[in-house]
Amino acid sequence: MPDKILIVEDDPDMVTALRMPLEANGYEVYVASSGQEGLQKVKEINPDLVILDVMMETTTAGFQVSLQLRSPDPRSEYAPYRHIPILILTAIHTTTSLRFGPDEAYLPVDDFVDKPIDPEVLLSKVRALIEKSRGQK
Amino acid sequence: MASVASISEESVLDRLMAAAMTISVADAAAILLLGDEGRLWAAARRGLPDDFSPAESLPDREALSGKPVWGTAGQPGLFLPDGFSHLLCIPLTLAARPLGVLRVYRRAGPPFSPADADRLLALTALGAAALQAARGLAEMERIEVAKSRFIHVATHELRSPITVAQSLVRNVVRGYAGPLTDQQKDLFARISARLDFLEHLVNDLLDLAASRAPELAEEEGPVAVNSSVGRAVLLLMPRAEEKEITLTVQPCCEELAVWATEEGLDRIFVNLVENGIKYTPSGGRVTVSMGRDGDQVWVRVADTGIGIPPEAMPHLFEEFYRAPNARAVNAVGTGLGLTIVKELVERYRGRIAVESEVGKGTTFTVTFPTIRAGSAGVDAGAAARPPT
Repeated sequence: MPDKILIVEDDPDMVTALRMPLEANGYEVYVASSGQEGLQKVKEINPDLVILDVMMETTTAGFQVSLQLRSPDPRSEYAPYRHIPILILTAIHTTTSLRFGPDEAYLPVDDFVDKPIDPEVLLSKVRALIEKSRGQK
Repeated sequence: MASVASISEESVLDRLMAAAMTISVADAAAILLLGDEGRLWAAARRGLPDDFSPAESLPDREALSGKPVWGTAGQPGLFLPDGFSHLLCIPLTLAARPLGVLRVYRRAGPPFSPADADRLLALTALGAAALQAARGLAEMERIEVAKSRFIHVATHELRSPITVAQSLVRNVVRGYAGPLTDQQKDLFARISARLDFLEHLVNDLLDLAASRAPELAEEEGPVAVNSSVGRAVLLLMPRAEEKEITLTVQPCCEELAVWATEEGLDRIFVNLVENGIKYTPSGGRVTVSMGRDGDQVWVRVADTGIGIPPEAMPHLFEEFYRAPNARAVNAVGTGLGLTIVKELVERYRGRIAVESEVGKGTTFTVTFPTIRAGSAGVDAGAAARPPT
């Protein structure tokens, strides 16, 4: 069974850029073009990893998705998906990205990839996150 | 030029009234300004009872023609506040163009004299010029902010398609769209280089816009210099290693802080160290050192690079300027990096100095007023804001 990756991104060209290296490396890729659709598809597909753009229909739509998926409330409808690793796409070009690290308290994501996407960097982060979440299960 | 309007129209009017009351021994004053529809409106007041509104009256209209006009309680068409007996209206004109009227009031005593009127005319001539200057400054600031905001929005919009195009091109170059011929590889490499340059340019414009529009940046506070330099060096270490350049930091033993924004201070050191790496040949050194000199903290970025020719020195901080030898060794560069550095340094009340010798290297020194910080990190609450 190939690993399933859900890309939540509203720019179809960026989706293509993400999809090409992932599919070439055997991943099964699903796409949602809004935060709302992304949450819906998480429940339908139960992916092994979510790749999330921050700025979609609103400037923080991606953060809203990650906050929902990582809700500490055990009654949350997303509680069963809390373990799914989240990789966020950023377009931060300064040292800010050094502080914009994976920090549960600050932003519930596991890692980030800088735009423009470097396929090799993307693949190594995807591999590492899926492996890590396997180990934790 | 950010925040040029240190003199507001309001403060000019207030100072004008205070001076007018002093030199004419008046008990109250008001200024009426000409509005867009040619009506006078009460722009400022001093010493008048709260329930009195100095609306346009006959003497004001007469004064607009350029002559002082006297008024006394009981005169038809003249409304004085209760307890006031004398009024003098002085035109505010600039190069024969009426801007408004200055009124001075006396409760009792003798009426205003022609000598009072002469002195006030001299004062309002200065006041009108100051008012015009304040309006000009406010307008300049508005334009500057509007321009910066436009650049900010435009560059954000520009960034997105560039990063998407770059992401797609990288896929092609890495062969994810099938094998490429050598010629295709070469062409895509050129496209990629051009896109990299565009991305750089847009990022630099964004930084420049942010450095010129304080309201676009995060709020200033104490920023630890050691940490800021550390972040810049950490970010650029891979690039230095790639080029086999020894990048070293000599941190200061003290924890020194500067009143700035983290992003802005980081940007200064990133740009300076990045330049050092860019214009130093392989095998060279880039050294960052820092220290305190009285109440000033200095950071020095020294490289063993190509140096800056003396004829390029006066243009170094100009937008889009690149020294000829810099262009020769590095085709890619926006010519905005040092402009951004200078604007940010000045915004944080600092200075920048450069020493260079062609073929030997360049040293940039930035100096800021330091603020006392706690021994472990910086405590924002404990540090007092320095005078601006």
